[in-house]
Amino acid sequence: MDPVRRHRSEAALTLAIEDLVVEFNSGRGVARVVDHVSLSVWPGEIVGLIGESGSGKTLTALSVLGLLPGNARIVTGTIRLSGQSLLDLSEARRRETRGERVAFIPQDALRALNPVLRVDMQVGEPFEIHRHTEWEVAKQKAVELLAAVHLRNPTARAREYPHQYSGGMQQRAMIAMGLALDPQLLIADEPTTALDVTVQAQVLKLLREIRETHGTSILFITHDLGIVAELTDWVYVMYAGAIVEQGSVEQIFQHPSHPYTKALLRATPTIHTVHSELVSIPGHIPLPNELPEGCRFVDRCPVRFERCSEEPPDFEVGAGHTARCWRCEAGP
Amino acid sequence: MLRLIAVRLAAFIPTLIAASIVLFVAINVLPGSAARAALGIDATAQAIARFEAMAGLDRPLYVQYLDWLGKVVQGDFGKSFQNHVPVGPELLNRLPITLELAILAFIVANFIAIPLGAIAAYYHQRPADSGITFLATILGAIPNFWLATLLILIFALRLRVLPAGGYTPLTVDPWRNLSQMIMPALSLGIVSSALLLRIMRASMLEVLTSDYIRTAHAKGAPERVVITRHAMRNALIPFLTVGAVEFGFLFGGVVIIEEIFRLPGIGSLVLVGIINRDYPVLLAAALVITVVVLTVNMLVDIIGSLLDPRQVHSRGSK
Amino acid sequence: MSDLATSGTAAEGFSSRLSWRRHGLLGIGAILVSLVLLAALFADFIAPYSPYELNVVNMLQAPSWAHWLGTDELGRDVLSRTLHAARISVEVALVAVTIGLVGGTIVGIISAYFGGIVDLVLMRLMELLFSFPAILLAIILMASLGTNMLNAMIAIGIIFIPGFSRLARAATQAVLRQEYVEAARTIGMSDLRILGREILPNVSTPLLIEAAVAFAYAVLLESALSFLGLGAQPPEPSWGNMLNTGRGFMAQAPWLGIVPGMAMFLCVLGFNLLGDGLRDYLDPHLKD
Repeated sequence: MDPVRRHRSEAALTLAIEDLVVEFNSGRGVARVVDHVSLSVWPGEIVGLIGESGSGKTLTALSVLGLLPGNARIVTGTIRLSGQSLLDLSEARRRETRGERVAFIPQDALRALNPVLRVDMQVGEPFEIHRHTEWEVAKQKAVELLAAVHLRNPTARAREYPHQYSGGMQQRAMIAMGLALDPQLLIADEPTTALDVTVQAQVLKLLREIRETHGTSILFITHDLGIVAELTDWVYVMYAGAIVEQGSVEQIFQHPSHPYTKALLRATPTIHTVHSELVSIPGHIPLPNELPEGCRFVDRCPVRFERCSEEPPDFEVGAGHTARCWRCEAGP
Repeated sequence: MLRLIAVRLAAFIPTLIAASIVLFVAINVLPGSAARAALGIDATAQAIARFEAMAGLDRPLYVQYLDWLGKVVQGDFGKSFQNHVPVGPELLNRLPITLELAILAFIVANFIAIPLGAIAAYYHQRPADSGITFLATILGAIPNFWLATLLILIFALRLRVLPAGGYTPLTVDPWRNLSQMIMPALSLGIVSSALLLRIMRASMLEVLTSDYIRTAHAKGAPERVVITRHAMRNALIPFLTVGAVEFGFLFGGVVIIEEIFRLPGIGSLVLVGIINRDYPVLLAAALVITVVVLTVNMLVDIIGSLLDPRQVHSRGSK
Repeated sequence: MSDLATSGTAAEGFSSRLSWRRHGLLGIGAILVSLVLLAALFADFIAPYSPYELNVVNMLQAPSWAHWLGTDELGRDVLSRTLHAARISVEVALVAVTIGLVGGTIVGIISAYFGGIVDLVLMRLMELLFSFPAILLAIILMASLGTNMLNAMIAIGIIFIPGFSRLARAATQAVLRQEYVEAARTIGMSDLRILGREILPNVSTPLLIEAAVAFAYAVLLESALSFLGLGAQPPEPSWGNMLNTGRGFMAQAPWLGIVPGMAMFLCVLGFNLLGDGLRDYLDPHLKD
C-alpha cells in the first residue's frame, strides 16, 4: 500500500479519528482509557490496531460505532466517516450508520449470535432494518451472503441455528452479517482469536478477498503480530490508551522504533526464536488511574533515560512512520 | 423435540405416584386419627376398632395405599365419611371452578411480572428499577387472604361494583362469572407476581448484557426491535423454567381464596374435608390439587424448553 | 478492556450509590423485626388492656384515644390483642424454623457426606416435598396430628426441611471438596468430629439468611392456618384468626380486617427485608 498516505486529500478518508478521549466514570473517580488517539483508514485499506488487552483498542472501536458501555463517555475528539462527523449526529442518525456504513465483527461469534433466531434471519436482518426489505427477500439475500463467505450448503445452513454451526462457520456468518449492506468500513475486533489456526487462515483469506472485491476498508484489532504481518497495510501500535507508533507494515516490522513495538516483536515467536529465548515484557500494563508521569511506557522500558519523565511527542522516523519516544528525537 | 417431551413425561408418572404416597403417608402420620376424628375424642377403643375394621383402616398402610391408588386410577375416590356419597362426582363438579380461578390468577401474575420485570431490567440502576424492585418486595409480603379482604372492603362493600362472593358458571352468565372471579384472581395473582417479577428481571438483566444484544445494536436495530425480537424470547426461557415451580405455588393458594370468596372449587373442598374430618374427601381433594400443580409445573417447564432451539435441535453436522 | 468497564461499575456502583438504599432497606427491616419481637416479648407490659377482657357494651368501637385501634365484636381492645398475637406468630415461627433448620441440616449433611444412593433418594424426596404447595401439605399433616398451635409448628417445620436441606447439602459439598477434610480423615478424626468442627461453621452463613426468610414465610403460613381455623384457637388472639372473625364485620368495623393484616404484612416485610439485607451484606454473590 502507498507509504506516502499523508499526501492524499484527507477528505477521501474512510475513517478519521482525531484526538479522541474516552473516560470512565467509576466510584473511584475518572479514568481516561483512550488518551488523545488519532488514527485514519483509507478506502480499501486494511489497518491493524495492535495492543495488549487493556490498551483501549476495543473502546476506540466501540466509539466509532457509538456503542460504548453506559458509564463511559467521549470527552473530546472527532470521528469522521467518509468526511461526515459522527459525533454531531443525533442518536437516530447515528443508528442509521450502524450496519449500513460501518459494521462490527466481534471476537466471540457464538455469543454474538442470538441463540433463538435462525441464521438467515440474523444475517438478513440488516436489510429488514435499514432498507425495510420484506423478510422473505431478506432471508434470500442472507443465503447469497452465506454463499459469498464460502459457507457450504448455504440454503440448508441458513435455516439452522447458530449453535448448530462450528466456530469457523459462526465467524463467517458474522462476517456475512457485517457485509450485508456493503459498508464502507468493517471493524473486526480480534475475530480470529477464538479460532484454531487453520480456520483462522481461512477467515483472514476471506477478509482479504472482501477488500479485493468490494473495496471495503477494514480496521483489524488484534494482539497478534503474526496476523498483522500477514493481513494489514498500515499499523497502529496502542499502549495504555495511546498510539505509541504507527507506520506501514513494512516499516513497523523492519524498522520498529518504539521500545514497546520492539518488545512485542521480540516476544512473538518466529522461526528465529527456536534457538533463543522468548522474551516477555516484564511488568504489566498500567491501569488508567495509575499511569506514570511522563512517558507511559517508562516503568517497563529497557532504554529509559532522564528525558522520559516528560511525555514525548510523536517523532517522524520515516515517511508517515512516527513513534512516541524520546529516543527517536534524532530521526530515522 | 419429541424425545424432550417424552423424557419429561416419563419422569412425570413416577413423580405423581411419589406425590400420592407423600399425601397418603402425611394424612396417616398418626394412626387412628381418622377413626377418632369421625367418632369424636371420647370414642372408646372398641368403637375405634370397629370403625377401623369397617373402613378397612386396620390393614397395613401399604395395603391401604395400594388399594386406594388402584381405586383412584379407576376413578373411584371413595365415599365421604360424613354422608357416604361418592367423592368422585363432586370433584368433577368443582374442578372447572378451580381451574378457571387458577388460569385467571396465572394470567394476572404474568401480566404484571413480565412487563414490569423487563422494564426494571432495562432501566437497571435507574429510578424505575429501584421503584419496581421495591414494589415487588412490598407485594411479595402481602398475605393473599388479607389482600382479598381489602379488595372486598373496597370494591364490594364501599364501591359496590363487585360481588363479595359466590359463583355463577361461565356458561350461565359470563359477565357475572367474571365479576365474581376478578377479585379472587387478583388476590392470588398479585402476590405471586412479586417473585415472578424478580425472576423475569434477573433473566432480562442477563440477556441485556449478552453479546448478541450488542450485535443487534451494531446492526442499527431500533430499541423496540432489540427488546422484542432479540431480548424477550431469550429472557422468557429461563423465566419459564425457573418460574415453573412458582406457578405451582400459586395454585396452592386456591384453598384460602376459594374459602374467602365462597367459590365451590376443589380448594374449598379441602377445607370441608379437614373441618369435617372427612378423610376420603380431604385426601381426594388434596390429590387433585397436587396433580394440577405438578402438571402445570411440567407443562410450563416443557414450554420453556421448546422455546429454546438449543434444546430442540441437536448439534447436527458441522 | 471491558473487564475494566464492568468491574468499575459493579464494584463502585455497589458500594457507593446503591449502598445507602440497601442499607436503608436493611435498616427498615431491622426496625420492623425489632418491633415485632418487642411486642412478642413484652406484650404483657406494653398492652393497655388484657386481650381477653370482654366488654360487650363497647363492642365495635372505631379507633379512639381510649382504644387506639378500636375494639372488636366482643369489646376487646384490638391493639392489645394485636400485640399479644405477635407472640403467637413469633413462637410458632421460631419453633417451626428451628425444626426445619435442624431437620434440614441433618438431612443435607447426611446426604452430602454419604453421597451415592443415600444422596439420590434423600434429594429426590426433598425435591418432591418442595414442589407441594405449602398450605396443602400443612393441612394434610394437621389432619392427622390434630389442629392446634403445637401441630401447626410441627407441620410448618416439616415443610421447611427440604429448603434447608438443599442449602446444607450444597454448603457441605463445598466444604468436603476442601482438602482439610481429607487431611482430618487421614489423621483419624471421626466423621462426627469432622462434621462438627469443619462443616457446621461453614454452613452457618447461608443458613442464617435462609432462616430469616423462612421466618417470614412461617408467620405467613401460621396466619393462614389460623385464618382457616386450623391453628391458634379463640380466645387466643392470633393475627390469622383475628382477620378471620374481623372480615365478618368489615361493613361496620373495617379496622378489624385492616389491622391484623397490616401487622402480618409488616412482620413478613420486616423479615424479608432483613433476609435480603443480610444476603447482600454477608454474601453479595449469593443473589439470584
